[in-house]
Amino acid sequence: MGAIATIANRDLKSFFVSFKGSVTFCFLLLLMGMFFRSFTATFIDIQAQTLQMGGEAPKLSQLTTAIFQNLHFILLFIVPATTMSSFAEESKTQVDRLLQTAPVTTLQIVMGKFVASAGALGLVLIASAVYPFFLFKYGNPELGPIFTSYLGVFLLMCAQVAFGLWVSSMVNHQFLAYLFTSFGLFLLLILAWIAPNISGAGGAEEFVKYLAATPHLDNFFSGLITVADLGYFIAFIGLFLFFTNVAVDAKRWR
Amino acid sequence: MIEVVGLQKSFGNQVALSDISFKVAKGQIVGFLGANGAGKTTTMDILCGCIGADAGTAKIAGFEISENPIEVKRKIGYLPDEPPLHREMQVGEFLSYAGKLHGLRGDRLNIRVADLIERLELGSNKNRLIGQLSKGFRQRVGLAGALIHDPEVLILDEPTEGLDPHQILQIREMIRGLKGQHTILFSSHILSEVESVCDQLIIVDKGRVVEQGTHQELITRIDGAREFHVKVRQGAMSLAKELEETLPNLSRITVSEEEQLVSFLTRDGDDVLDQVARRVLDGGFGLKELGGKSRKLEDVFFQLTR
Repeated sequence: MGAIATIANRDLKSFFVSFKGSVTFCFLLLLMGMFFRSFTATFIDIQAQTLQMGGEAPKLSQLTTAIFQNLHFILLFIVPATTMSSFAEESKTQVDRLLQTAPVTTLQIVMGKFVASAGALGLVLIASAVYPFFLFKYGNPELGPIFTSYLGVFLLMCAQVAFGLWVSSMVNHQFLAYLFTSFGLFLLLILAWIAPNISGAGGAEEFVKYLAATPHLDNFFSGLITVADLGYFIAFIGLFLFFTNVAVDAKRWR
Repeated sequence: MIEVVGLQKSFGNQVALSDISFKVAKGQIVGFLGANGAGKTTTMDILCGCIGADAGTAKIAGFEISENPIEVKRKIGYLPDEPPLHREMQVGEFLSYAGKLHGLRGDRLNIRVADLIERLELGSNKNRLIGQLSKGFRQRVGLAGALIHDPEVLILDEPTEGLDPHQILQIREMIRGLKGQHTILFSSHILSEVESVCDQLIIVDKGRVVEQGTHQELITRIDGAREFHVKVRQGAMSLAKELEETLPNLSRITVSEEEQLVSFLTRDGDDVLDQVARRVLDGGFGLKELGGKSRKLEDVFFQLTR
């Protein structure tokens, strides 16, 4: 546990002292802010229209859901920037020898890198709590769905980080790691959209839909935490951390 | 302290190590000598657990590296040719990090960091970013990082590579200063450096160990085929022919007609000189000079790796 914390602490500090970290942090908050402002304006417009013309007024939870769904897109650019250098850059500059020659296991190295990247994104997520704070100040939203939405987005981030680490451990250039991670995460995102076009026996459509991350977030956004969704994210994280562990170990034998 | 038996390693079709075997006793500074591509770095990478060997065993302080990698890593400090340093960290901060990776905490860590900063004269750069340091200082930080946990075995891969002459002397002095406290395996392709720093030498060529021993032992062993020369007033060509026909224990007889000089190799040492001198005098060639070349490490190295 000590080694994981040591590695994670160093990587986390390194992320925030670097230009890349600051830009990533600002970029995510800026985009979230833009979405928040734009959706809140639309929300107020629709609310005013329903007051004049009648009909069901939109709920605040719908506003937060829209914001979090769009966050998924932003993460396609943010997560790869966080994970790209974890293994690829260290391997290229041979700084990885510091960890390779230290009395730590490959699993401790992988977990340390994972905690650092997930922690960096988690901190950005905490900073983004300023938007729900405004909702509470000027409205009366339900706390439950906001909390579960944050939990869902954090789990999604962790899953994407695990995927990004695996890609980073497979290549020697951080730019390639960024490119392949973005592409892979985009594929995961659109799986839910292309699933209806897949016809085949044995529930291929259902299987592809299950692989996509988006449907698993819907329950979180509506305030529900289900074992199936939690299981999906934990399995996804575990699987890709295992792949990363194997890839880092395999480098010794290339 | 270090025991390597039959190490083999290939990268694809490229054979990097075909048969590396050697032993290093406790407290020695051993030079690992070889041309570029001879297999020095690959051997050191295997000893440090960075890469795995295809065959063979490597033991450090009694622990086999493939069976007890963590225990072995506790006992070694490694400084590769390019020190693994995080350039965005400060010197003191980096050394603390390296110490924590080796399980040091609290006062023990702080004392160790302060001690190394003082010993390696890094005090004035303690709070500077590593990326802003000169190559010589980065090398010192790398050495401090390798020494942070006071390892029994120190593995240094070309630690003076790319440094200016002044920095090379400083690093050599530092390594000499570590003698007795650590067992040091020190690789280099600079012969004079190895000669001046190391107690023992291991010469590698094309992925195998070709010789191991002290400087004197190697020279004595190789001296079996020492080179001599005889300078005459006339008839060097005829003399060479006569020597070749009458003294079968001479080899590689070469002639320089311009200088009237005959050079040859012999395994019989000084005894053969009497016979050569007699033939020069009896044949009326006119003896001007007769002598042997004194052997240096350079000669030994070139002969072994030719």
